[in-house]
Amino acid sequence: MSETKIGVFISDDGKQLSKILDFNALTEFSKQIPGVVRVETKSEFWRQEGLETITEAIRQGKINRVVIAETQPKVSEIKIVQAVENAGLNPYLVEFVDLKDHCASPHRATPAEATEKAKAMLLAAIERAKLLEPLKKLEFPVLKSTLIIGGGIAGMQTAVDLADLGFKVNLVEKEPFLGGLAARAGRFFPTDDCAICIQSPASDVKTITHTSRKCVYRSGLSEIPNLNMYTNSKVMDVKGAPGNYKVTIEKKPRFVDEEKCVRCDLCVAACPVEVPDEYNAKLNTRKAIYINTPNVHPPVYVIDESVCRFHDCAKCVDVCPTNAVNLEQKSEQVTLNVGSIVVATGFQEFDSSIIKEYHYKEYPNVITNLELARMIDGFGPTGGAILRPSDLKPAKKIVMIQCVGSRDKRYNSYCSSVCCMISLKHAMLIKSTSPNADITICYIDIRTTGREHEHYYENAREMGIKFVKGRPAEILEDSEANRLVVDVEDSLLNRVIELKADLVVLAPAMIPAEGSVELAEMLGIKLDEDGFFKEYNAKLRPTETKLRGIYLSGGATFPKDAPSTSLHAHSAALKSAKFLMNGKIIKDQKTAIINDEYCGDCQFCPVTCPYGAISLEKTTEDHFVAKVSDLLCEGCGICVGTCPLNAIELRHSRPTQMRAQMKALMSVNSTSKPLVLAICCSECGHTAVDSSGMAMMQYPANVRVMRVPCTGILQVHQLLEAFRFGAQGVMVVGCKNDGCHYEEGSQNARQKIETSKVLLREFGVEPERLEMFNMVFIEGDKFAEAAQMMTERVKKLGRLKITGAN
Amino acid sequence: MEPANSGTTLTQEFSIKVSDHMGGETLKHCYQCGTCVSSCPVAKATSSFNPRELIKLALMGAEEEILSGESIWLCCSCYNCQERCPQKVEIADIFYALRNIALKKGYIPSMYSQFSTALLDVGRVVAISKFVENKRVTHGLPPLQEVGIDNLRKILQATGFVKLEEKEEE
Repeated sequence: MSETKIGVFISDDGKQLSKILDFNALTEFSKQIPGVVRVETKSEFWRQEGLETITEAIRQGKINRVVIAETQPKVSEIKIVQAVENAGLNPYLVEFVDLKDHCASPHRATPAEATEKAKAMLLAAIERAKLLEPLKKLEFPVLKSTLIIGGGIAGMQTAVDLADLGFKVNLVEKEPFLGGLAARAGRFFPTDDCAICIQSPASDVKTITHTSRKCVYRSGLSEIPNLNMYTNSKVMDVKGAPGNYKVTIEKKPRFVDEEKCVRCDLCVAACPVEVPDEYNAKLNTRKAIYINTPNVHPPVYVIDESVCRFHDCAKCVDVCPTNAVNLEQKSEQVTLNVGSIVVATGFQEFDSSIIKEYHYKEYPNVITNLELARMIDGFGPTGGAILRPSDLKPAKKIVMIQCVGSRDKRYNSYCSSVCCMISLKHAMLIKSTSPNADITICYIDIRTTGREHEHYYENAREMGIKFVKGRPAEILEDSEANRLVVDVEDSLLNRVIELKADLVVLAPAMIPAEGSVELAEMLGIKLDEDGFFKEYNAKLRPTETKLRGIYLSGGATFPKDAPSTSLHAHSAALKSAKFLMNGKIIKDQKTAIINDEYCGDCQFCPVTCPYGAISLEKTTEDHFVAKVSDLLCEGCGICVGTCPLNAIELRHSRPTQMRAQMKALMSVNSTSKPLVLAICCSECGHTAVDSSGMAMMQYPANVRVMRVPCTGILQVHQLLEAFRFGAQGVMVVGCKNDGCHYEEGSQNARQKIETSKVLLREFGVEPERLEMFNMVFIEGDKFAEAAQMMTERVKKLGRLKITGAN
Repeated sequence: MEPANSGTTLTQEFSIKVSDHMGGETLKHCYQCGTCVSSCPVAKATSSFNPRELIKLALMGAEEEILSGESIWLCCSCYNCQERCPQKVEIADIFYALRNIALKKGYIPSMYSQFSTALLDVGRVVAISKFVENKRVTHGLPPLQEVGIDNLRKILQATGFVKLEEKEEE
């Protein structure tokens, strides 16, 4: 690279800043720094002629590094960087300083000291600019295809959306039929319409209207040309990276050819094997060759291989008029290459038999909501009649128990959010066909928070459904009378009552789908403490994960009702489409780089990287070297902070750059006031400094701010070095522990600060000179307070003396 | 302090006092579902004992009403409620905490008072009557051993029981 020629551009905010800061002094100061060839002052540099001043200088080859002191750097940065790039200079060679919110505003009461700090800030930016290196923009190819795991209403909706947008969609469902939990639920609240109707695909040009919604069996889902359906299939392995995953799925044999079966039912009639039907809560039986209900999709029989006698019987083969039954079918492995993956695995009922006092699975007349739903369904085992499973006589007295295993710290502490509405729906559906049914709902709190939901609750009361505020302690069985007795306190009456019941219906918690742990591990994404898939950010990215390319749809993130599931499914489709549409990922190269020579087999960095971006590669017989994937690396630097051998650096925040900056910030001080270095992460920490300035908070000018990508990048020796450069106190400001933009950076930083404190004590330095703070943008007051506090503290401690080692 | 409508005095600090007391730590977890009440053999026998209501009163700070009343002494410590509580409230332990607080304030039902006096005097809560001794003989049981009263007193001294007892006598 040729000689460094730095242009320094200082905005005075329409002469407002020069009322506080001595601009002549700043200009003079900057001019005499080696490498600086040009210093300009103007109202602003990010629009019109200001911007032209910069680009002109670049075009004429007068400068090849830019330092800009703008009053709104975070707004102007995008525009300036773009203009710089257009003018022919690498955009990573620009360094920004905020002389307003980080200097003039908070230090307006001490203009001389503010000017000193401004000099230090400019010097730090200039010194850093000298060491900056040009970075590339990286491009990675993205396949315009997707895999959706789970064929419930969430997965189906996301699949239809993405297929409509033209992407190649693969939908994988582990069961032989689509529909998931929704199909078994029968009807939905608050509209009481069918569970398994979805918005029709756009490919259905002949019958689609704007208002069209269709039951899955007539939705045309299987006829969408760019949608492949894999039922009875399971994801076995996922390899690759965002944009280019290689997925292996196992397609279990159906033993019935989907292309030949005409669903004539002859095979079912011929089959001699009869087993209890799990799908219908074992209230009836089904054959070894079966379909769940008449309206399922795909409309093709399946053979249950755990009970079929195959060639010892083969009656189905004999009767099939189209030769569709094929007992030789084997399970197949299918490999799919996809750009993105959507997890739509939903949720399931908690196993209530764990709660012994409710005797579920022990007393036949204790059932769950899902089992009751099967009874209510006209296609169900009882044809819509509500019966006692023990003797199949009509159940007249029904008691429903809410919060079975949810809001319960012993099992699932969260509220499952849908069960109150499900029970109200069931009670009303029963009441509407059998007005004489005696139904009591035992609840802790009835939660009806959605639109039309409270109305539902009101209707239920109108219909004569009774409510007891109390969670029953026990269900007892009076086997002689074939009756159950529910012990409950009606806490509004202060009275323990015994409710007699023919049927007790439990509202079990809704828990994560089976296999979530394995799937999360396979995909490299996280589960929350309750075992649901964790979204990247509940507010902004509810359907995204920390990995670009992997999305979440529907109940996989938390139990949801149908309207929320639908909304969530559309959002997942949109986010996935946004990722796939360009056919490529463009990102900058502010990534980590390994020095192979220093790297020494320790394996710390692959473990601490929150994005799985680091892998180990074998170099010689027994030597491994860490390798960073530029695609996965998010540039946080947590690996840098973790590496014990200084073998990793971030390209845009190298230790040399950071050291130069630190040294500069601590070198300009004409007062006797002790200097405090505030190392702030570029997310919440640095913006908290912004907001304290914006809100005109004041704190001493001896507090100097240094920006790092994430506090996780900090190394113990860097913290100690700050004191060597003259800091009398060091504050590290990061995001809140659970709000770190890079998952665990601020937690890692805290650990390192604790270690550094121990070392400081060894060197005879008071450990309280170093402190970590966690804050968010709006806590500018907290930053100002902390800065003030640290200044007072180091003043009290007196001048730093290092008495330990040299 | 603010008087409630019923005339009960509510002391805001009381719930903190209880949850700071050993055994009372889980007080604030309670969401009043009533599982304890329908699990409780005492509540089934008498309406003058309602564990849920007692917890609620403690949360609201009805200090005097709780400590001077007889309710807290009615728990039979079967721990059924504690076993079943969905919020892991240690209900029976909270009642022990409340009893300790009551005792420190000098509240103790006379029956318990007689028990403790007997324990200090003869080393037994219930005196052994001739009737009991005869009954044991008819069932072929050996006679009851003498209580090591001196050692027992040392234990009661060390655990602070003696001090509580003295306070109660004041």
